[in-house]
Amino acid sequence: MPSSHLATPAAETAAGPAPPGGTAPLGGADLRFRRVRRRFGRLTVLRGVSGQVGAGQVMLVTGANGSGKSTLLRCLAGLLAPDGGEIAYREGAGGGGDDPVLDAAERRRRIGYVAPDLALYEELTTEENLAFFSRLRGVPAERGPELLRRLDLPLDRPAGALSSGMRQKLRWAWALLHRPRLLLLDEPFQNLDTKGEGVVRDLLAAHLAGEAVAGIEGGIESEGEGAGPGIAVLAQPVDVELDPRWEVADHVQLAG
Amino acid sequence: MSNWLAETYAVFAKDWKSEARNLYALNTLALFAITTLVLVSVGLGPMGVDAAGAQVLPFLLWIVLLFATSAGLPRAFVQEEETHTATALRLAARPSAVFWGKLAFSLSLTWGLEILVAPLFLAMVQLEVASPGQFVAALAAGGFGLAAASTVIAAIIAQARGRSTLFAVLSFPILIPLLLLVVELTRDAVGGFASDAVLRQLLLYDGTVAVAGAMLFPAIWNP
Repeated sequence: MPSSHLATPAAETAAGPAPPGGTAPLGGADLRFRRVRRRFGRLTVLRGVSGQVGAGQVMLVTGANGSGKSTLLRCLAGLLAPDGGEIAYREGAGGGGDDPVLDAAERRRRIGYVAPDLALYEELTTEENLAFFSRLRGVPAERGPELLRRLDLPLDRPAGALSSGMRQKLRWAWALLHRPRLLLLDEPFQNLDTKGEGVVRDLLAAHLAGEAVAGIEGGIESEGEGAGPGIAVLAQPVDVELDPRWEVADHVQLAG
Repeated sequence: MSNWLAETYAVFAKDWKSEARNLYALNTLALFAITTLVLVSVGLGPMGVDAAGAQVLPFLLWIVLLFATSAGLPRAFVQEEETHTATALRLAARPSAVFWGKLAFSLSLTWGLEILVAPLFLAMVQLEVASPGQFVAALAAGGFGLAAASTVIAAIIAQARGRSTLFAVLSFPILIPLLLLVVELTRDAVGGFASDAVLRQLLLYDGTVAVAGAMLFPAIWNP
């Protein structure tokens, strides 16, 4: 039976989790969750999982297959309602702590999400897919093609005709389209070749630093949302390869 | 254009673009409509029907339309779930924009089907309509009711197992009042009888299903 527990370094106290890495949250965004529980019928997948991460930082979620990594990320994304516990995500100029907690509906609309169960429209080209989601998110139309070029993806190929590695890059482009502050990444490097993984690791580092990841960032930043250092919650099997550019604030280990 | 309208239009336009590429709903609707039209005309024979028999024809017209839409429209949400695109849509769009965009797509399909099927039906069974304006109103209001009810039901069954069975079970209580009203209105249009009260009831049904669906949809669509 899978179980879960919080590992180093964010130990809980009666007053709530300690700040990540022993420091106050950076400005811009803040994600905290406490004692998150989730069952599927008789199977308990998450047993009171807690964690915390601030702007510019990475939270690692590791565990074997079936340990609940994807379930936790779906709960954090607002795609799955937890059976218990609290999830508090804040973002704004106030730096997280003073900003109101966003409800699940608002959290869903703001996050970026890369996961194996995420698919785009196979009959539409990569450019058409991103154009559709740009219209939904109110993002300038040029952002999609810029990201596709950055990821070395063809613009005119139907999503259904992409290789598995290209599909993974398209998920990245989709996730970064609206320049979200919170990126939820479920096995984000799967199916990528060395060059492709290098590109997305660069994109992740730029996201954490709040730097431009395409050539038209000025237009996005002027909207006020998405600017500033980002957060990444990265779920990987136990053999995750750390990147020197990541500041790992918390490490949630789920027991399989 | 407001953000909400832009989102709704984006969902509508995306559904048509996808449909233009895979032709799933168009093929299904056309197949069922033509098959049932041919069956009806062959069943009635070359002699047509007498005055008493003409009372049955509005039923047959709406049975043709119901069969065709029942086969094609429920795919609106099921396909999103089966191809796992629902997750991306859930994360990017407001639920209300998804609902109204999908409803607009279903409505355009239904009205397009009616524009194709109704004249063919009238010609094949040699039926004369005494009140064409009322006939068009019946088709428009009935088509809206079919599209709205199908969209709501499709959203519900997309989240469930045993989808084909569930569609039939859920459709029965929702569609029966619509069919009773729209058949009466169509029959009165054929006979030339005024039936404003029935039209008002039909519009009330349409409004109720659409508004209730829009209110219910966020709870169905989101966890």
